[in-house]
Amino acid sequence: MRAEAEVGCYGPRARPAGGPGLEGLPLDELVNKRVVLITGKGGVGRSVLTAALARLAARRSLRVLVTEVGDDPDDYSPLAHHFGLSRLPRSPERIAPGIQGTVLLARTGQELFLKSVLRSGTLARAALSSDALRRLLGAGPSFREMGVFFQLLTYLRATRADGPEYQLILIDMPATGHTLSLTGLPDLLLRLLPRGPIAEALREGQRYLNDPTLAAAWVVTLPEDLPVSECLELLEGLDKTKMPTGGVLMNRIPPDPFTPAERAALTPLVDAQNLLGKEQLARPLLADRAVKRLRAATPRTIYTLPELPPDGLVDALANALDKARPLPSSESP
Amino acid sequence: MADATTTAEKVGSLLRTKRIIVCCGAGGVGKTTTAAALSLAAARAGRRVLVLTIDPSRRLAETLGVSRNPPEPVEVPRDRQAAAGISPPASLHAWMLDPKLVADDAVRRLTKSKEDAERVIGNRIYQQISGMVAGMHEYTAMEALYTLVNGGKYDLVVLDTPPSRHALDFLEAPRRLSRLVDSRALSHFLPRSDSMVARAASKVLQKILGAVFGDEFASEFIGFLMTFSSIFQELNVDVNTMRTFLSGPDVAFLLVTSPQPATLTEAHFFQDKTRELGLPFRGFVLNRSRARNVERRLPDAATDAAGGGPELASGLTKLRALAESELHLAKKDLALLHELEGRAGQQATALALPELPQGAGEMATLLEVADVLAAS
Repeated sequence: MRAEAEVGCYGPRARPAGGPGLEGLPLDELVNKRVVLITGKGGVGRSVLTAALARLAARRSLRVLVTEVGDDPDDYSPLAHHFGLSRLPRSPERIAPGIQGTVLLARTGQELFLKSVLRSGTLARAALSSDALRRLLGAGPSFREMGVFFQLLTYLRATRADGPEYQLILIDMPATGHTLSLTGLPDLLLRLLPRGPIAEALREGQRYLNDPTLAAAWVVTLPEDLPVSECLELLEGLDKTKMPTGGVLMNRIPPDPFTPAERAALTPLVDAQNLLGKEQLARPLLADRAVKRLRAATPRTIYTLPELPPDGLVDALANALDKARPLPSSESP
Repeated sequence: MADATTTAEKVGSLLRTKRIIVCCGAGGVGKTTTAAALSLAAARAGRRVLVLTIDPSRRLAETLGVSRNPPEPVEVPRDRQAAAGISPPASLHAWMLDPKLVADDAVRRLTKSKEDAERVIGNRIYQQISGMVAGMHEYTAMEALYTLVNGGKYDLVVLDTPPSRHALDFLEAPRRLSRLVDSRALSHFLPRSDSMVARAASKVLQKILGAVFGDEFASEFIGFLMTFSSIFQELNVDVNTMRTFLSGPDVAFLLVTSPQPATLTEAHFFQDKTRELGLPFRGFVLNRSRARNVERRLPDAATDAAGGGPELASGLTKLRALAESELHLAKKDLALLHELEGRAGQQATALALPELPQGAGEMATLLEVADVLAAS
């Protein structure tokens, strides 16, 4: 049973403004949301997949905002790199046709939040220029995550005459621990702050993030032992924070050009001589084993994506995503 | 990879002589594996070693046969040590520590009375946030390190720093914590009785806190800060003490990294930062490097197919194409290693570790890495 995999069932509610050509394609569940979190360990291809999804959604005429959670505005950004930039802008700007981009920073969100609650200009200015408050917000409990959360909420709220300003917000999420701190933030803070402006903002954010018709987290992983284990742990963690999960994107499935007879003939030779390419002979088998293990361990939707050359990777991945079909569930023949 | 131009101490020598090795690195580069392999290598070389990790993977705990989050370091079962070639008096302990336990412990030590300590630990706000305060994990790791090294039970402690996006977070996060408590920053939030100006300023801040958090939580929060301010002052001292302690000659900082576009930028920042903080940067460990593949022979359809059937010939042609792209990657990784070597200079070393083979038992893999480290 693939409980979360019914394609298109969230369609009508997901995007009030509507967009052309979205019915019936397998990947609708991926882009037909207001906010999609791309999660996973470092080095699995999260950023490039975020960029490819943005490209794909823009091709379907969605107004897309791509973001990443940053620590520092000067950070090197692999996501920005895929758009030919060294870093994403501090506030949304067009970074590619149909695509806007910005970095989610604790500081930016905290400022937005203070401006919205301290309606008095004097108070807001006093707060923002207060070294003491800045230090508190920089080190304090969950304040950094709160800033990121509020900045995201601001973009979710933004509307224009014909619907949401950003029909799809894609977030390249940082390492696992940070991801779970962010998705777990509302529950944690609401226990401490059941009332007040922060609580209101958190509840509003929850209405987006905890609604499977509006939000989904996808876990990016690789067809190898350890990444599969980590992917399963992350899925479990996301469930605990009530973040709806779309499924798994299994990236970099190696090609297997060899027939069984060729493999049988080659194996003794490459092993005996430790020839270069030996690992390439074994990789497809190991990858296949990892895919099967993941398939058996979770009922969720799984997409597999091929290993592709680095040149033109974003477009090639967008094409691959466009054509991708979910892996059959484990009961299927 | 040997490099004749540098006189810097190799990793194999560092793990035999230093008392502390700190493994820094962004998440996902294999830092925990490297720390575990370094520890194994040092214990195999006859030392009493402790590996200290935060937020560890289930898998490493299983491999070493120790529990996660015990209250104190646990010895790796003797049979596993023996199987890994560690024999007394050498030993390997591991502590996959729970930041909450260490934080509580620190509070107990830093508070003046037992009652104070229990009041703090019992505080509702503290209970919710102590694990989530930015810098707390990093602080607790340093705290544990400090205590354990000074305890004299180990010849070497290997610290696997907490997972983060940046290698530098480990150095920066405790500083954020200490910047908060340092100076009079906190006192601005507390009711004041000194000058009129200070009173007015503190009133404004309290009003802001009230508007942001709601009046009810704001007063509770201010109460929390008051309870903590004395502890924070102590902690501030400790952050500085620990920085001094980590700049000693017995300490080596290693940056664990992997071949990625950002690797060189990261390496550069890390070196600058450690220099700025006066910390002994001693080397780069480039994980998952395919650099050594340049030494391997390419399959050759013409000669290797001799005496084989048609499958061998067609298979070799396909393998050759794959092997050529492997060679291309290997050359790129080798160039990266050379750049890191150049950057490491005279004080530090650069070492490439191969991609870990899949499918082998985890312990066998760790031992393989340990051998490469020890032989470097």
